[in-house]
Amino acid sequence: MGVPIFITAVTNCCWIGADNCVILGILGTDLSWISKVQVNHPAVLRRAQQVQARRTVKKEWQAAWLLKAVTFIDLTTLSGDDTSSNVQRLCYKAKYPIREDLLKALNMHDKDITTAAVCVYPARVCDAVRALKAAGCNIPVASVATGFPAGQTHLKTRLEEIRLAVEDGASEIDVVINRSLVLTGQWEALYDEIRQFRKACGEAHLKTILATGELGSLTNVYKASMIAMMAGSDFIKTSTGKETVNATFPVAIVMLRAIRDFFWKTGNKIGFKPAGGIRSAKDALAWLSLIKEELGDEWLKPELFRIGASTLLSDIERQIYHHVTGRYAAYHDLPMS
Amino acid sequence: MAAATRTAPRAREIFTTLEYGPAPESHACALAWLDTQDRHLGHYVNGKWLKPEHRNSVPCQDPITGENLASCLQAQAEDVAAAVEAARTALENWSTLPGARRAQHLTRLAKMIQKHQRLLWTLESLVTGRAVREVRDRDVPLAQQLLQYHAVQAHTQEEALAGWEPMGCTVVVLVPPASPAPLLLAQLAGELGSFPGILNVISGPTSLGPVLASQPGVQKVAFCGAVEEGRALRRTLAGQGLELSLALGAESLLLLTEAADVDSAVEGVVDATWSDRSQGGLRLLIQESVWDETMTRLQARMGRLRVGRGLDGAVDMGARGAAARDLAQRYVREAQSQGAQVFQAGDVPSDSPFYPPTLISDLPPASPCAQTEVPWPLVVASPFRTAKEALAVANGTPRGGSASVWSERLGQALELGYGLRMGIVWINAHGLRDPAVPTGGCKESGSSWHGGPDGLYEYLQPSGTPARQPSLSENLNYDTFGLAVPSTLPAGPETGPSPAPPYGLFVGGRFQAPGARSSRPIQDSHGNLHGYVAEGGAKDIRGAVEAAHQAAPGWVGQSPGARAALLGALAAALERRESALAARLERHGVELKVAKAEVELSVRRLRAWGARAQAQGHTLQVAELRGPVLRLREPLGVLAIVCPDEWPLLAFVSLLAPALAHGNTVVLVPSGTCPIPALEVCQDVATLLPAGLVNVVTGDRDHLTRCMALHQDVQALWYFGSVQGSQFVEWASAGNLKPVWVNRGLPRAWDQDAEGAGPELGLRAAQTKALWLPMGD
Repeated sequence: MGVPIFITAVTNCCWIGADNCVILGILGTDLSWISKVQVNHPAVLRRAQQVQARRTVKKEWQAAWLLKAVTFIDLTTLSGDDTSSNVQRLCYKAKYPIREDLLKALNMHDKDITTAAVCVYPARVCDAVRALKAAGCNIPVASVATGFPAGQTHLKTRLEEIRLAVEDGASEIDVVINRSLVLTGQWEALYDEIRQFRKACGEAHLKTILATGELGSLTNVYKASMIAMMAGSDFIKTSTGKETVNATFPVAIVMLRAIRDFFWKTGNKIGFKPAGGIRSAKDALAWLSLIKEELGDEWLKPELFRIGASTLLSDIERQIYHHVTGRYAAYHDLPMS
Repeated sequence: MAAATRTAPRAREIFTTLEYGPAPESHACALAWLDTQDRHLGHYVNGKWLKPEHRNSVPCQDPITGENLASCLQAQAEDVAAAVEAARTALENWSTLPGARRAQHLTRLAKMIQKHQRLLWTLESLVTGRAVREVRDRDVPLAQQLLQYHAVQAHTQEEALAGWEPMGCTVVVLVPPASPAPLLLAQLAGELGSFPGILNVISGPTSLGPVLASQPGVQKVAFCGAVEEGRALRRTLAGQGLELSLALGAESLLLLTEAADVDSAVEGVVDATWSDRSQGGLRLLIQESVWDETMTRLQARMGRLRVGRGLDGAVDMGARGAAARDLAQRYVREAQSQGAQVFQAGDVPSDSPFYPPTLISDLPPASPCAQTEVPWPLVVASPFRTAKEALAVANGTPRGGSASVWSERLGQALELGYGLRMGIVWINAHGLRDPAVPTGGCKESGSSWHGGPDGLYEYLQPSGTPARQPSLSENLNYDTFGLAVPSTLPAGPETGPSPAPPYGLFVGGRFQAPGARSSRPIQDSHGNLHGYVAEGGAKDIRGAVEAAHQAAPGWVGQSPGARAALLGALAAALERRESALAARLERHGVELKVAKAEVELSVRRLRAWGARAQAQGHTLQVAELRGPVLRLREPLGVLAIVCPDEWPLLAFVSLLAPALAHGNTVVLVPSGTCPIPALEVCQDVATLLPAGLVNVVTGDRDHLTRCMALHQDVQALWYFGSVQGSQFVEWASAGNLKPVWVNRGLPRAWDQDAEGAGPELGLRAAQTKALWLPMGD
């Protein structure tokens, strides 16, 4: 399972940056809990099924929750054919995610509802920064980096990619981890790499994408989450959206439990970002209640919870439209993003 | 486009708090259905509503608001008689149908449920107060699946269940007052048209149970409820000639080891008690090394539970009415007074019908509360140090319903799963159900089964079983039956050669003098004194049961193959003794040829059971579950057998062989008139089998029966003797609710394979355990 090596990695904290030594100092006093970690796959699957069936919100509650969900969205476009015009449109949608009259009807027009960030490829960061500036808002720009989505490039170029994106004005960096290090059990090396990502980010927030669809087992997901958090990630993120299996509830449950364990051990709250495959308003509600159930209300704010999505926003807007008007919207009733 | 047609006054506020709101499930259809009955429910008999005049009625209330939903008529004896009459008439048609036709009907009923599922689940949730999610997502689909499963069985019954026949009488259900869902189900079944009388539902108090049971034609009574009610019913129905199966109590057990995925196990606790899935509470055993961690996680999890109206789609737990709440309250107060710590949490409305999720710890093991059944919605946590200790604690209660084991170490999980004396064991899961897997229990949880193959045999009997004869002796005095042993005096000179076996009781592998130091004379067929056998008594039974208990672990640990080999050796020894045994039988009036045949058949039986017991237990495949469910056949434990007077050797061996082959240890009382052949066999047992495995106690049959039937540590009892004895055994078995098998004074053809070595013996000689093994990585 590679756990003994992992423990070595952590106890050798002398070569780790001083800021992190505090955390490791706390963890270092009692490491037995990590080696005891067991993730039972079928039990997690059952929990994942239940959590969706046991909570639901209706009427005003649904509308309010959906608006809240909007504020968690990292509005994303990650396509080969992205150009400055569709990035600009995306940024405008990020600033005005829900039609003004709908917000007014809900008496929410003065709440300054925007998405949490826009997320683009490094080459489109400049476009996004410029567009958002033009729209007169301070929505952060997130950039994917480190050889997204596969991470199969040289470490040197991956680090350089982060630095360039930060230079271009990205204040959040979504890095992908090197899956081969997880699958071969090189936890020490994984830790080291993420530390370097962290350093390269400077002031920018680091979101670490675990690409859970390619990690093989839930136990690996738990361990990778733990390493990513120890190495200084501000967020851990499920997937790139490019794997065959993306953000699923079982994986999320394991990651959320890791976040909770980390919080209990160190007092540090790490954020969570599911991404990929979250398309419907109903999904979004389920994700919100999952966070509420597993981590509690403290995590339900954009600093600690994001949803990476592109088409989700328009479905939420449709649901809000229906809530307000009592009718289902036609395609042309809502502005495109 | 004017958008503001509907406003959301609270949206702003909710946007900040992100609280849950009410998510009510409409129960309009349930009310509409009650309206079709004018809010006045009767009984559903023979495809029609039965609303007799001049009956008391009880209100059916919403347990949360206390609102009167309907009034329910209370049945009286005449109504019960009418229902049974309807069922008997229906039986004539129903039982002669080909299986395929019955299968078709069951499938139609399953579809009927599917068509009206919303009505069923809202009605059930409305009147019981249980979370609608559980009724909708589990109960209703399970009901359909059970019908479909049995439809499949009905299809194949002519081949698969050849040699078995229905017990007779179709179904009459007596439901507690004010539970309309079974009535609705009966109506749905009745409206299928073809066989109106196969399901009849009457509502009335439990006190009507014996009235229902005593109706002519009733062959079988199945009871679900509290342990004490079951015990009382067992006593009342003694001697009525009925099969009684009990499913009692609702407490469950969860065993959490240090190798567990603790977060998942905590969810298991929620499934077990705080999700309205089960009726009862939970005993939670936690390995000491993970005690603190588990308690922290459990308490954090409890804080997020939501309690509220059952018909709300976003609650974990509903309310169960005043009685359940008071029971929980009483238990908690008592536990506190006995020194326990109580932790309660969750989002619970403050008004009265609700009771919060409750975790009790530090309850001293010797306190009265630690012994009693844990009620809903309580969890009583206690620590253990090792797996061995966990088993001792878990098995140290009279209850044997269901349990789950949480451990990621395969070896440990299996060790615990096999070691628990429970009807159902889930590994790393709790509360899974499937129609193909039998659900039941052992010990005081009652040994009745539902679903799976065991559920089928509950309602079948070997073809040719004589019809029930009411044999109740009203004047049988349970206090004095078999209490006194008639004194024996010297009975004249012994004629002929004196018996070969040494004098004494065969206990713990050797012949011992009886505690009473007295003897009883045995006469041959001519009335001459054949010899004396020891007069056993209560103390001797105690010693024999103790010896059997000591031998049990060793015998259970043997592989079926090793057991078969020993039985084979015993068979060979019997063969060598053939002439002596035949002579002995001849002296008791058996023709030599017949006597020889009896010995030969006995030898065959020993060998046959050894071979049969090799193939035990099998795997069931369950839909939607990755991984197998093992249907294990485990020994009952210490089995007491009172052999019939007839066939002194053959009946003795025919009963002994399946009992041993299935891993039981036995205490036998041999034929009263001719015990000597059995004692003769014991000489070989002494040299071949481990000490204490087989114990044979001679003496007054009634007295010995009394001692064994009242012995709390005898796990099962087979009785072949008088009508009164059978009645007494049934009555006395209520003490520890041991499964009993009595002949009610009827003779049995031991020389016929169907009755002397049929599958019925194998079914009775072992108990089932369903071991769930979900898999995945």
